[in-house]
Order: sequence, then C-alpha cells, then structure tokens
Amino acid sequence: MMKKDFKLSDIPKRNPYQVPEGYFDRLPMQVMERTAAREKAGWLPNLWQPLRLAMAPLLLLLLVFVGVYYYSAFNGQDKVLVNLAAVPDTEIMNYLSTYATLETTDFVELNTLREQDLPADVLNISAQTAEAELEYYNLNTLDY
Amino acid sequence: MLFPQAEYTPEPATPDYLDVPLEDKELLEKFARPESRNMAFNQLVRKYQEKVYWHIRKMVIDHDDADDLTQEVFVKVWKNLDNFRQDAQLYTWIYRIATNECLSFLSSKKRKFFLPLNDVTAELMEKVESSPELAGDEVQKKLQKAILRLPEKQRLVFNMKYFDELKYEEMSEILGTSVGALKASYHIAVKKIEEFLKQD
Repeated sequence: MMKKDFKLSDIPKRNPYQVPEGYFDRLPMQVMERTAAREKAGWLPNLWQPLRLAMAPLLLLLLVFVGVYYYSAFNGQDKVLVNLAAVPDTEIMNYLSTYATLETTDFVELNTLREQDLPADVLNISAQTAEAELEYYNLNTLDY
Repeated sequence: MLFPQAEYTPEPATPDYLDVPLEDKELLEKFARPESRNMAFNQLVRKYQEKVYWHIRKMVIDHDDADDLTQEVFVKVWKNLDNFRQDAQLYTWIYRIATNECLSFLSSKKRKFFLPLNDVTAELMEKVESSPELAGDEVQKKLQKAILRLPEKQRLVFNMKYFDELKYEEMSEILGTSVGALKASYHIAVKKIEEFLKQD
C-alpha cells in the first residue's frame, strides 16, 4: 500500500527492463545488415508505399467506371432486344431490302433451307429465277 | 540467463564499452570518407545504441518492438547522416529521430487496429503487467503503469528527465519545445504520477 503523502523520490530509481544477453553486442551487426539490404533494394521499395496510396483512389474510380459501363451496356442490350421484338415484320423486310447487302455466308445459310421454306412473296422471286441469276454471276471470279 | 538484473545507472557520456571512443566530429569525418564509412558507422551505432534503445523501450515497452525501431532509427541515421548539419549535437539529432519513430509507431498502432489512445495504453499496461522482469517488484510495476497513464508527449518528457537525466536545454533541442514548457510539463507529470500511485 502506498503512503498518503507519497513522493516520487521515495521510489528507488532504476531501469526495470532488461534485454536478452549479448543483445548490444549483436545489434551493430544487425543494423549494418539492414542498411546493406536497404542499399541493395534501392529506391523502388521506398516509392512503393506512396505509390500504393496514390493508386488506391484511382483503382477505385476505375472499378466504379467499369461497373457503370457494364451496367449500362447490359441494360442497353435488353432495350435493343425488346425494341426489335416490337418492330413489325414488314418494317424489318423493308429495311433489309433497302439497306442490307447479302454476303456469301448468307447464301451458305440459304442452301441449308429447302426450296419450299423460301416463300415467293418474301424473296419476290421464284426459285428458278434465283438459280438463273446465280448462274449469271460467276462467283469464283469475285474478289473477297 | 535471459534477463540479467541490473541496478539503474544513467548512460555515461562516454560509454566505456568502446575501446577508443571517437568524438562525434571525428566520426562524421570518417563517415564522409568512403573507405572508412562502414567502420565509422559501426562505431557510431556502438556509441549510441543503448541510449537509443532504452529511450524507445520505455515508450513501446515490448523488446521486439524496441529492437525493430532501434534498427530503423540507425538505418535512418545512415541514410541522412550526410545531410546532418553540425550546428546541432549528433546525439540530440539521433535522439530526435528516435523520438519521431516512437511517436509514429504508436500512432500507426492506433490507426492499424482502429484503437483509441486508451486501448493502446491498456495494451502497454498489459505488457508491463505480464513482464517477467517486473515480476515480484510491485512498486516498480505500479510506477511503470502510472507513467503509462500520462499522455504520450508528457511521457516522453518525463522519461527523458527522470530516467535519462537530460538537461532541459537538450530536451528543448530534441523536442523543439521551450525550456519553460518542458519544466512545467515535467512538474505536472510528476504530480500526476504521484496522484496515480496514491489512487492505486
């Protein structure tokens, strides 16, 4: 129990802590090893810490940007599908006959269909006429 | 024996563990020359290591932390010694680096674990409580725990004056505080410690 009129000077002054035996004999060598290791590592590790701190908000911004981009792209794709489904067939046909250019791959696709699958009112041409038309153009001479 | 007991004696101005202790001026001159740089630095570490270590140890309590910080202080000394302006004493300059390292360490501890000051103090007190060096010495244990209840900078002032027996002028140079403020701070610290000990 401490006295009521306690004074700091009543306590004998001593360092209450100790170190492992031989610690101060080894310390200079350990310090020299650490300085040598730092010299060898150069300036790059010192730069890494502030660089990491600077990169963190940039990375966060990039993630937010990518997230927003993909979110809006995904939503936009949905809208296109919905809109396309709502377009009447006649409008699609008009668009294709006006703007679309047929590629060779389209003919390949057509060959897989049976003749009766090609309605004359869609092609606006009979199967025989179409074949004659193809014969007229020598496809082997076309440049790709 | 891992921890040999020793009565407290402040570090002598010129430690006797150096065969031929070099003056700071001579150390700096040798450090400036590439051929004697390593030898001079080794002597510098030997000359100041105990003062630096004990200063740090009393602030962070744990030996491993103090060991790591002491090495870090000397690495900083190595890197910056070329820029050392000789209008200050080498020792006070090193002491200042050590003080900054201690304060940074304690701050990073708080930030790292999102701990308020009281929790860091409680952690240090727990280290004192479980320290094998203080086992059986209840008075010293109470004194150390009372010192830990001081705010960090006041604890620094108390340790530097009470244990290291530095002059107020030296402390002023190290801490960048006026002598008057340091005297008042030390006086208040002593009163607080005596009060804490009465409460226990």
